[in-house]
Amino acid sequence: MTPETLSPVRDNAEVEAALNRRYEAGFVTDIESVSLPPGLSEDIVRQLSALKNEPEWMTDWRLAAYRHWLTMPTPDWAKLKIDPIDYQALSYYSAPKAGLKSLDEVDPKLLETYEKLGVPLHERARLAGVAVDAVFDSVSVGTTFRKELAEAGVIFCSMSEAIREHGDLVRQYLGSVVPTGDNYFAALNSAVFSDGSFVFIPKGVRCPMELSTYFRINAINTGQFERTLIICEDDAYVSYLEGCTAPMRDENQLHAAVVELVALERAQIKYSTVQNWYPGDENGVGGIYNFVTKRGDCRGADSKISWTQVETGSAITWKYPSCILRGDRSVGEFYSVALTHHHQQADTGTKMIHIGKQTKSKIVSKGISAGRGQNSYRGLVKIEKGADGARNYTQCDSLLIGKRCGAHTFPYMEVKNPTAIVEHEATTSKISDDQMFYCRSRGIGEEDAVSLIVDGFCKQVFRELPMEFAVEAKKLLEVSLEGAVG
Amino acid sequence: MSEATALRTPLVESQIQAAAARPPGDEPAWLAQARSENLAAFTAGGLPDTRIEAWKYTALRALGQRRIGPVDVDAALRATVDSTGFVLPGVDGPRLVFVDGVFRADLSTAQDVAGLQVMPLSRALREQPESLRFALSRHYRERADAFAQLNAALGFDGVVVRVAPGAKLSSPLHMVFAGGTQAEAGSHLRVVVDVGAEAAVDVVEHHVAVGEASHLATLVTDIAVHDDARLGWLIVQDAGVAATLVRRTRAQLGARASATVHALELGGALVRHDLACDLAGQGAHLETRGVFVIGRRQHVDTQLSIRHGGRDTTSDALWRGVADGRARGVFRGAIVVAEGADGSDAALSNKNLLLSADAEIDTKPELEIYADEVKAAHGATIGQLDERALFYLRSRGIGLAQARSLLTLAFCRVALADISDERLREHLGELLDKRLPRMADA
Repeated sequence: MTPETLSPVRDNAEVEAALNRRYEAGFVTDIESVSLPPGLSEDIVRQLSALKNEPEWMTDWRLAAYRHWLTMPTPDWAKLKIDPIDYQALSYYSAPKAGLKSLDEVDPKLLETYEKLGVPLHERARLAGVAVDAVFDSVSVGTTFRKELAEAGVIFCSMSEAIREHGDLVRQYLGSVVPTGDNYFAALNSAVFSDGSFVFIPKGVRCPMELSTYFRINAINTGQFERTLIICEDDAYVSYLEGCTAPMRDENQLHAAVVELVALERAQIKYSTVQNWYPGDENGVGGIYNFVTKRGDCRGADSKISWTQVETGSAITWKYPSCILRGDRSVGEFYSVALTHHHQQADTGTKMIHIGKQTKSKIVSKGISAGRGQNSYRGLVKIEKGADGARNYTQCDSLLIGKRCGAHTFPYMEVKNPTAIVEHEATTSKISDDQMFYCRSRGIGEEDAVSLIVDGFCKQVFRELPMEFAVEAKKLLEVSLEGAVG
Repeated sequence: MSEATALRTPLVESQIQAAAARPPGDEPAWLAQARSENLAAFTAGGLPDTRIEAWKYTALRALGQRRIGPVDVDAALRATVDSTGFVLPGVDGPRLVFVDGVFRADLSTAQDVAGLQVMPLSRALREQPESLRFALSRHYRERADAFAQLNAALGFDGVVVRVAPGAKLSSPLHMVFAGGTQAEAGSHLRVVVDVGAEAAVDVVEHHVAVGEASHLATLVTDIAVHDDARLGWLIVQDAGVAATLVRRTRAQLGARASATVHALELGGALVRHDLACDLAGQGAHLETRGVFVIGRRQHVDTQLSIRHGGRDTTSDALWRGVADGRARGVFRGAIVVAEGADGSDAALSNKNLLLSADAEIDTKPELEIYADEVKAAHGATIGQLDERALFYLRSRGIGLAQARSLLTLAFCRVALADISDERLREHLGELLDKRLPRMADA
C-alpha cells in the first residue's frame, strides 16, 4: 500500500465538525461597566488619567506620548494585511462598575468568568499555588496571594495601584526599556494604558511562587492597552505567566500592550505567554489585533531574560519580544510556537541586541501554518562593536499544513565584532507522508497522528513552559489545529 | 525644503543634464519613450534611502552628493588599454570589450561560431530593433530600482547574445567591462541573452580596472534560458578601488532548463548586485555560488532572490563572504516558493568570516513559502575560523598564520569548487588568494 492510499479524506464530516468547533473562551460576560466615550484626544487621555487618580507626572507622561503618537506614521513593514484601524471609534477605557477593595467584593459574575476560563481567583487559588492578577477589560479585578508575597518582600499588584503606592519605583523604571516614542503602538499604549501588572522583586529574593496575569477583553468596541513592568533587583528571580482570551465578536478589537522587563546583576526573569485571543471565525471575520511591544533589558552582568510564547489566537499578531543584552555575560532566550489557522496572520519573532561582552542568546521559533494562515518569523540579531565573544544560535522551523497557507522567515543578522559567532538555521516542510504512514500503520488515527507530530515539532518550546502552561498550550494547539488536516 | 527638492541631489541633477546632453539618435519611438519614462521616474524618486528595505544596509548619501558626467566617447575609444590583462585561462570564445561603457572593436575578438549570434547592442538596435523591444521597453516604477531607471534612461550600448535552439557551444563567451579611465564618468550598459531550447552556453562577465579614476557603472542583464537549455554564468568582479558598480541580473528559466551562476566579488568601492532568478518552468534547476573578499572601506552588497514558480524546481545557493579592514559586506538571499510550486526543493547556505574589529557583515536569508509540498532550508553564519580545524593544522606543524590563510582560502574556494575547467578554477583561486589579507603570526 502506498502512502497515497492512506492519505486523508478531504470532506470528512467529522473533520468538518471539528473545524467548526467554536472558540471555547468566546462567551460574553453580561456585566455593568463604566466606559469612556469612544474617541481619542488629549481630553480623553486627561479623563482617563483622572479616573485613575493618577499623579500629575503620570498625566504629563501620557500626554507627551499621545502628542508623539500623533506625529508617527502607521508601520507597514510587517508582512501583514491590516484593514485601516479607526482609532476614534474605539473606547479607551472600560471597567466593571463598582469599586473594588478586595477579592471578596468582586462581582460573582466576574469570578464566574475566570472560573469558566480555568483561572483560579478565589479559594481554589490556594491549591493551584500561583499568584494571579486578573485584568478584565481596562482594569485589574483582583490579585491573589498578596499577603504571602508581601512577606517575601515581593510587590505584585496592578499597575494603577503601583502608580499610586509605589510611584517612585514606577517613575524610575516605566518607559526605561520601551520609551514612549519607541514605535507607533508603544506610543499609543503609553498614552492610554489603563492597567496591567507591576512586579518588583527586591535584592536576593527568589519569588516564592509563579506570578501570573490573566487578561480578558469583554466589552464591545474597546481596545485593551495594558502595561506590565517587572523589575528584578540583584540576584532575584521570578517566573511570570501571562494568558489572554476574549469573547467572539464580528468586529476586530485592538490589543496593544507594552511589557518591560528589567534584570539587574545576576537577576533572572522568565516570562511565559499563552496567547489565545479570539482569532476570528473561519472566514476571517472578527478577531483581535494583537500589537504588542515586549522588551527585556539585561542591565546587570550575568543576568538572564527568557521569553517563551505560545501564540495560537488573534486575527493578527505583531509581536517581537526582545532582549537588550547590556550586562556582560548576560543571556537572552526566545522560545516561540506560533500557529495560524483559517485567516490568521502572524508576524512575530525577536530581537537580540548584544552590547555586553560574552553575551549569549538563543532563539528557537516554531511556526505552524494551516488553512489560509500566514506565519512569518522576523528576527534581528545584532552584535555591537564592544560585544566581544558574543554568541547567538537561531533555529527557525516552519510546518505547513495545507495548500493555501504561507510560512515565511526574515532573519536579520548584523555583526560588528569579529570575535562573535552568529548562526541561523531555518527549515520549512510539511508533515511528511512517511511520518503519517508510520503513525497510521501503528493504529494511530489521523488527527491524533497530526497532533502527535505537531507536539513533537513544538517540544523544544513546550519544555520551557511551566508545567500548568505546557499542558494548556498542548491542548490549545490541538484544538486550534483540529480540522486543519483532512 | 520640500521632499521633491531634497531628492534632487547633485547626482540626480547631473544625470538629468547627462540625459539632456545625449545626442538625439535615430532610435525607435518606443525606446525613446522608455528612456523618458524611466528618466522621469528617476528624477521623481531620486536615489533610494536606507528606509527602503532593499537598501537598508547600503547608504547612498555620499554617492548622491557626487556629480557624474557622461562618458567622453572619443577619449574612451582612444584610451590605451592592455588587453592581455583580461585573459582568463579556458575562456577562449568570442570576446567583447567595453572601456568605460564604450565598445572597443579593436580590443574585441569576433569568431564565427555556429548557432551563436553576439554583437554590441548598438548594432543590434540598428539591425533588428523589434527583437529587443520587450527587453528594452521596460518601465521601472519602484524607488528601489533607481539604477535600473538610470540605466534605461542613459544606456546606449551593451551586448546581445542569441544562442540558436540546440546549439551546444564549447568555448565560453567573454564580456569584458573595463572601467576607470575617466574620472566621475557614468557608463550604463545593457546585456540581453537568449538561450534557445536545448542549447548550451557559458558566459563570463568580467569587470576589470584599467585606471584608478572613480566612476559609476551600471549594468542591467536580462537572461532567458528556454526549455531544456543550459547556461553557465561566471562573474569575475575585479573593478578599480574607486569604482561604484551597480548591477542587476534577471534570469528566467524554462522547463527543465538549468543555470549555474558563479560570482566573485573582489574589487570596487561600492558594489551592488541584484541577482533575481525565476524558475518558471517545471523542473528548472538553478545553482548559485558566490564569494566576496573585501577590505579597506569596500562595501559589497549582494541581493539574491530566487523564485520557484514551476513545479519540481530545485535551487541550491552557496555564498561565502570575508570582510577585513573597515569593509562592509551585505548579503540577502531570498527564496520564494510560489503557490502551486509543489515539489520545489530550495537550499541556501551563507557563511561569513569577519576578520577585523572595524568590519561589518549584515546578512538576511529569507524564505517565503506559499506551497506545502516543498523542502526549503537555509543557514547563515557569521563568525571566525573553526578553532578545531586550526588546531588540527597546527598540530601537524603548520604555523598559525599559514594555517589561518589556508583555512580562509579553503573557506572561499568552496564557492568555486564546481567550476569544471581546472585551469580557470585554479586561476580564480589565485585571484582570491591574492585578495585575502596576509595573516600575522599573532
